[in-house]
Amino acid sequence: MKKLFLFFVLFVLAGASTLWAQTKVITGTVTSATEGEGAIPGVSVFVKGTTIATSTDVNGRYQLTVPEDAATLVFSFIGMKQKEESIAGRSVVNCVMESDVVGLSEVVVTALGIKREKREITYQTQKVDNAELAAAQPTRAASALAGKVAGLQINVQDNSVNPTTQIILRGLRSISSDNQALVVIDGVIASLGAFDDLNPNDIADLSILKGATAAALYGSNAANGAIVVTTKKGQAGDKITVGINSSYTAEKVAYMPDFQTEYGTGWEGAYDAVENTNWGPRFDGTLRQIGPTWPDGTYQAVPYAPVKDNLLAFFNTGHNFNNTIYLSGSHETSKFYVSVGDQRASGIVPDDTYQRNTVRVNASKKVGNVELSLNSSFFKDEQDVVGSTIGDQDRPLYWFLLNTSANIPLARYSDWRNDLYATPDGYYNAYYQNPYWAVGTNRNNQKSNRLNGNVQMSWDPLNWLNVTARIGTNTYWSSGKNWRASQTYDPYLQPSAGAVSSFVTDNESQSSEIIEDLLVTGTFEFGDFSLKSILGASNYNYVYRYSSIRADNLSIPGFYDISNGTGTPTVSADASQEVNFGFFGDFTLGYRNFLYLNFSGRNDWTSTLAKGNNNYFYPGFGISFVLTDAIDALKNNNLLSYAKLTASNSTVYNDLGAYAINERYSKHGAFPYGEVNGFVLSSTTVDANIKKEKLNTTEFGANLGLFQSRIMIDASYFLTTTTDLITYTTPSVSSGSTSFLTNIGSLKGSGWEVSLGGSIIKAKDFSWDASLNYSTMTTIVEEIYEGLDEVAVGAWAQYGVYAIVDMEYPQLKANTYVRDPQGRIVIDPSTGFPRQNAALESMGRTTPKHIFGLNTSLKAFGFTVATTIDYRTGHVFYAQGQDAMEFVGRSMASVSANRQDFVIPNSVIETSPGVYVENTNIPVQNGRQSYWTDTYNDVKENYVVDATALKIRELSVSYTLPSALIKSTPLQKVSVGFIARNLYTLLPGENSFSDPEFNNSNSNTIGVGGYFQMPPTRSFGVNLNIEF
Amino acid sequence: MKSIIKFAIVLMVTGLLASCEGYLDVNVDPNNPTAVTPDLVLPVGQYYTAAYHSTDRGLSHLGNMMMVNWSQSDGFSWYTDEFKYNVTSSFYSGVFNNTFANTLKQYQILYNLEDEKYVNYKAIAMIMKSFHYQLLVDCYGDVPYTEALGRSKEATPAYDDAQAIYEDLIVQINAAIDLIKNAPALAEVPGSDDAMFGGNMTNWIRFANTLKVRILTRQSDMSGRDSYITSELAAIASEGSGYITTDVGINPGYIPLNTGKQNPMWNSLGKDEGGTVTMSNNATCATDHILDFLSSTNDPRIDRLYEKPATGHLGVPQGLLDYDTPVADQYMPDKVSNIGPGILKSADMDAIIFTLAEHYFNLSELRQKTFITTGPSAQDLYESGITASFLYLGLDEEDAEDYYTQSKSLVGWSPSSNKLEAIITQKWIAVNGITAEQSWFDYSRTGYPSGVPIPLNYNATTDRPVRLFYPAGEYSSNGANVPTQPNAFTAKIFWAN
Repeated sequence: MKKLFLFFVLFVLAGASTLWAQTKVITGTVTSATEGEGAIPGVSVFVKGTTIATSTDVNGRYQLTVPEDAATLVFSFIGMKQKEESIAGRSVVNCVMESDVVGLSEVVVTALGIKREKREITYQTQKVDNAELAAAQPTRAASALAGKVAGLQINVQDNSVNPTTQIILRGLRSISSDNQALVVIDGVIASLGAFDDLNPNDIADLSILKGATAAALYGSNAANGAIVVTTKKGQAGDKITVGINSSYTAEKVAYMPDFQTEYGTGWEGAYDAVENTNWGPRFDGTLRQIGPTWPDGTYQAVPYAPVKDNLLAFFNTGHNFNNTIYLSGSHETSKFYVSVGDQRASGIVPDDTYQRNTVRVNASKKVGNVELSLNSSFFKDEQDVVGSTIGDQDRPLYWFLLNTSANIPLARYSDWRNDLYATPDGYYNAYYQNPYWAVGTNRNNQKSNRLNGNVQMSWDPLNWLNVTARIGTNTYWSSGKNWRASQTYDPYLQPSAGAVSSFVTDNESQSSEIIEDLLVTGTFEFGDFSLKSILGASNYNYVYRYSSIRADNLSIPGFYDISNGTGTPTVSADASQEVNFGFFGDFTLGYRNFLYLNFSGRNDWTSTLAKGNNNYFYPGFGISFVLTDAIDALKNNNLLSYAKLTASNSTVYNDLGAYAINERYSKHGAFPYGEVNGFVLSSTTVDANIKKEKLNTTEFGANLGLFQSRIMIDASYFLTTTTDLITYTTPSVSSGSTSFLTNIGSLKGSGWEVSLGGSIIKAKDFSWDASLNYSTMTTIVEEIYEGLDEVAVGAWAQYGVYAIVDMEYPQLKANTYVRDPQGRIVIDPSTGFPRQNAALESMGRTTPKHIFGLNTSLKAFGFTVATTIDYRTGHVFYAQGQDAMEFVGRSMASVSANRQDFVIPNSVIETSPGVYVENTNIPVQNGRQSYWTDTYNDVKENYVVDATALKIRELSVSYTLPSALIKSTPLQKVSVGFIARNLYTLLPGENSFSDPEFNNSNSNTIGVGGYFQMPPTRSFGVNLNIEF
Repeated sequence: MKSIIKFAIVLMVTGLLASCEGYLDVNVDPNNPTAVTPDLVLPVGQYYTAAYHSTDRGLSHLGNMMMVNWSQSDGFSWYTDEFKYNVTSSFYSGVFNNTFANTLKQYQILYNLEDEKYVNYKAIAMIMKSFHYQLLVDCYGDVPYTEALGRSKEATPAYDDAQAIYEDLIVQINAAIDLIKNAPALAEVPGSDDAMFGGNMTNWIRFANTLKVRILTRQSDMSGRDSYITSELAAIASEGSGYITTDVGINPGYIPLNTGKQNPMWNSLGKDEGGTVTMSNNATCATDHILDFLSSTNDPRIDRLYEKPATGHLGVPQGLLDYDTPVADQYMPDKVSNIGPGILKSADMDAIIFTLAEHYFNLSELRQKTFITTGPSAQDLYESGITASFLYLGLDEEDAEDYYTQSKSLVGWSPSSNKLEAIITQKWIAVNGITAEQSWFDYSRTGYPSGVPIPLNYNATTDRPVRLFYPAGEYSSNGANVPTQPNAFTAKIFWAN
């Protein structure tokens, strides 16, 4: 860290050395040429060829100290044509700006940090700036992208104090390879982790490169599109701004599952004082014993009646304090941005805490024709949360809550150390411990650090030539301790309790990515033609190390150190390395600023494949055609301000993981026994000729601006074909392997994206901007290989996520009822029980078919009200929590037939093959309980639920004090806001459990979640931003 | 400044261009070897053989449930599928999946060894493969055999006819015996890495012969097999090494109170590595039926097979729903007879995969059916079987004699009018808790022991299943080959027809 600061200080000093040069002051006003619009605030004004810059105030005025020899001022503002004014001895330089065909001259940061004008881009991108991103003060940037970009699916997978997010652009295109978007920070490949570890307040903007074509220059990392993050570089203007951004949010459980409240503790209809299950008699309000009888004959008694929200009461209000102090400024040839962030959070689960600090130092300095820059961030965090292997069954915390009967006043038992009825021996539940005890005796503490940054040199030896070299790193190291206390029970009070063994696990991991890029860019113009050519080379090196050691059955209670374990500690260590390098070229040929042709190519060599089979060429081409500049009839048309059409195609390849090409042995976990050691052959068998998987993407796009670009429409259609899929297929287990890594079949993905945005109302003190984006995408499995028509992506015994030929991927399968052609359930006449199909059946896709996002921003008299709403539909998920509630008799289904034998509605009997007669009189057996726990619960189609959700993701109301009010103070800006996240969620009736976005894993097994995540939450809070 | 930049760029370009062949040579896993010697493979195979047989929900556990040796205590809902006879594609699918994916995978590595130096390992692999394939056929009938275990070479192996597999098992065992007997001098003999016989190759031949007897006994009720059985028994006799003389167990050196290193049955059904009684132990107890049978025959093994609670032995009927009528909490774990000290001996006990008692009963059956006409009489073999069971459970020969000299049918030889029923019934008790799947196979084959009830409440059927369903995975990954799911209650394995 010290070194970084030193580096920074050097930059600043270098900048300061030019302070004493001869200067003069220029002032002026910038106005719009459009009638009625008047002065334009926020226009950036800079001296041509320098970084000496400022921006206009609310009245469109500016003041700039420039060197004596400064010749030209440049005025630029988004939506306006950039304009140059000669200074020519003047001290007042006014400027009238004309509105531009919005969007086309906007600069977009593309792959490898290459900046391009939007008009020359042959594929679709979308930009999200800081104002949109940070409106509701998210703690993680990714979560704030939900609903804001067409074609982007953000899955916030849990709501812990340190949540994980999945980022998917344009659906899935691979069965076994990663489908998550590439993250690039300040031009250098980083990781999702690095993205999560950024302070969202440090982000200037995000450019979303939606398809593989856009990202093709990244080689094998490009397949899933990219999120290109640009961090703040330093405010323009010859000044230093110091700012504080503080927010506080309170987090509360938004909603709980639907629980039955008619029956309580018991089994098979009989009351049982110690049951976790709710199969007792109907509630009658009488005082009944719960828990054990003490040797003196006393016991605890509570009314046999439902306790309202008895599980909700367990959760706390979480608190989240987020503070960022930043220092930003520039002077002539240097710029810097420094920030220090601090986040402290406590979760809805008692005792869960999280803290993190971020430090960012960005600085640049131009010396002659060379610009040096540093972008860096240091991050550290610490989380202390409840462990996930609680009790003798290694269950997660929510399981213990769900196994608390409806008549138990759970919140009373928080003092588990002292309160007799809350102690392990005295707690009512004989099978699952007091959740408060779980919180106190199972902890998982993780600390991590990350250094992410790059150093770049950009050199312009000639006015048409630029050479940029860059070295970046993304280095992460973490350590953690996970422990569980032992628990034994009084055999008289708790005869059924399973003693809990203790353990402690220490883990450490390190990973480091080093990326080196070299780019040589030449820009040529000849007549009507222009050519931008880029030649480059890139090198990537990744190393990873992990070790963990676990000791069991600790000797000294409460002492969580490896030395305290008995028996042999369990040790594991793992390391891997991966390198690849590539050379690339990219050529964009322009004709009269309205037609652009792009050709790009990259050749990669990778360490992970067999020699001779490890280099790949990635070609791409595209065309961009600006209709409104090409066709005279369309020029200067107020209705259609601009129109651009694009088409592109590229081929990229997905790489294989390190070492995966070899079948390997590993030591068996139980060995060694004394001197005898044992090794086991991997359960994965590998195709000897394994190669990269190939993705071909075609995209057509249109960008239109209507009514002087008040309304903008971006639309695209894309088609992705993945062949030679690198897939861990499931061979017959009788082959002696459970996984077969091979190149198989193909996937075909296609979809549409449409964004419609604009200013609905635009007046002097009042404006209303809105954007609506929509995307739909479908991935179909075209073929796998002969004799195999499905691959399990993540499967349990009776349900799972699969890739199935001719079906949408990913597909959820579950075991199902036998149904007649009319869809009625076929029962077994001897038992009344429904018949089950032998094989699992397809239940639907688990990624949304349709995603809508609506963003609006209303500005009036200093107030800004911004909202983000998204709606996802056309998919299903597996509600594991609902499944878990069946056995405990807490589900709504379990009371749907009053706990009696009943005739299954709409059921039939098959009297002879194919002949079905309505069942009117054969009831199920054991409807009191075991029908539900053993039969209904056994048919997993009951837990496949419509995953549709409408969410108000963000709502913020902010007010910025008028500058007139703070003129006389040192304050530059004061803004206060009310913020809310996940304000409201609307779910279909059949989803009575939780947020369908929650997911157990960050892999392609999308659509299975439940009790590993806590209930969904909403957050409310306030935000204060002050600048000096 | 400029020159520094130029230098840096030149350095970087050079670095990139210098990316010679060696630069990419980092794809060697530092943590996992790609080849190992057979002494590191064999003990893991045997470890699996032991674990999947005797652990919680292993093959023996299935036998204990099917043959009404074990039931469920109050407070648990663990054996619903077993009581429901819910034979689905996930019911005990580990018998198929674990055997192929883990156990046989390891033995196949040894089987594939071509080097003469390793013929002993190869022979052991052939014997152990036969041991497992017989159990697979006994549970499933047709299974993949000739094309199985080829890994990437054959991802979808064909299914072979059950009887054809059985016949080839004898061929393979004979070949294994030949390999051992003709091993070259340089051939490595396993040592402590052989967790069954410590490298005693004669014992391996004896075990091979014993296994052949099991295979032949299973077919002894089939018509048209007489001469085949007789000639194979003659081959055993002429081979001359004889049979096992002790229970056959696996013990790589189990270590008490050590994570993952305890005897697998003890660890899952007894006490865990922390010395705590497991939930499975609490959940699992005797049935009323087995306790009634043992006490009515004055069998002292009752206190060895089952733990006697302070309140006296108590069993639970399989399938009971209401545990609290007429007496609340009468079937709590501390009041019922859990698995006994003769079965759960210690955390480092051998994992028995073949009991000496069973072998005697197999010989007794073959002698009684006159496939064997010389040597000890059927009665002697029967009584030796009972004695072997008593000894294993920690009782002595006198106890055994006191027991089998009672004038009780199905106990004493002479008082038993149906000798086969007596043999099979005694085998049922002898393999109880140890290799209980054997008595389930016997039941399908012979209908003995008689009077074994089916669980209460759940079943429309009148008898127990005769086989398992193929696992669901076979239908998704090997759909073209796996047969249609047979009827679990009527489609008997070929040797029971």
